[in-house]
Amino acid sequence: MEGSDTYLIRPNHQYKFKPAIVKECIREIVRERLSGMLYDPEEVPELSRSLADGIKDKVKNAGFDRYKLVVQVVIGEQRGQGIKMSSRCLWDADTDNYAEDVFMNDSLFCVVAVFGSYYY
Amino acid sequence: MEEYPNGNEGSFNSEEADGVVKECIEAVVGGDDYSANQVNKWTASIVERCLTQLVKQGKPYKYIVTCAVMQKTGAGLHTANSCYWDTAVDGSCTVRWENRTMYCVVSVFAVAIP
Repeated sequence: MEGSDTYLIRPNHQYKFKPAIVKECIREIVRERLSGMLYDPEEVPELSRSLADGIKDKVKNAGFDRYKLVVQVVIGEQRGQGIKMSSRCLWDADTDNYAEDVFMNDSLFCVVAVFGSYYY
Repeated sequence: MEEYPNGNEGSFNSEEADGVVKECIEAVVGGDDYSANQVNKWTASIVERCLTQLVKQGKPYKYIVTCAVMQKTGAGLHTANSCYWDTAVDGSCTVRWENRTMYCVVSVFAVAIP
């Protein structure tokens, strides 16, 4: 990622990482790709990888310049088990943020988390 | 842009992070069985502990640590991540750990501060 000489130490309000917008991006893609899908252990590795890439590209195109992105997709089978997922971040709370979404149907569940970190 | 020769800054050391994370998981859930009322506490402590240990290393990184704890019922689980960053200095490390009754997957993402 090239650094440009703007010396901006924090983004203007309109260029900030907006969780609401990113959550919408995630929602659209996940609902479109996973509605009606059944958990299939052969397909799921490829599916989760392509979901992660698709979401990353969509968020990139939403115009968050100077943000480094991390997209994590977790897909699991529904078998009545309990699962708990949590995350902690050490970053600049002023400039960095995250968005997440959970999708469930009868045979699988999918958790997506997108973290954005500002590149000073 | 000029390349400054940096002696001590390399890319993210994922083996070292791997060791740190494994040790944190063992310390928090080492001998326990899955319990729905404790799992909140566990994930929070694993994540906080990993973060504090990583920060102690004193490297110029921002960290994102995620942890998923799942009961063993024969169900399958897949995680994938896609990252848009500078591959020369940023990095990640994922640790999968299990015992008799549960799986624990911890991911650490380190983003460099220029």
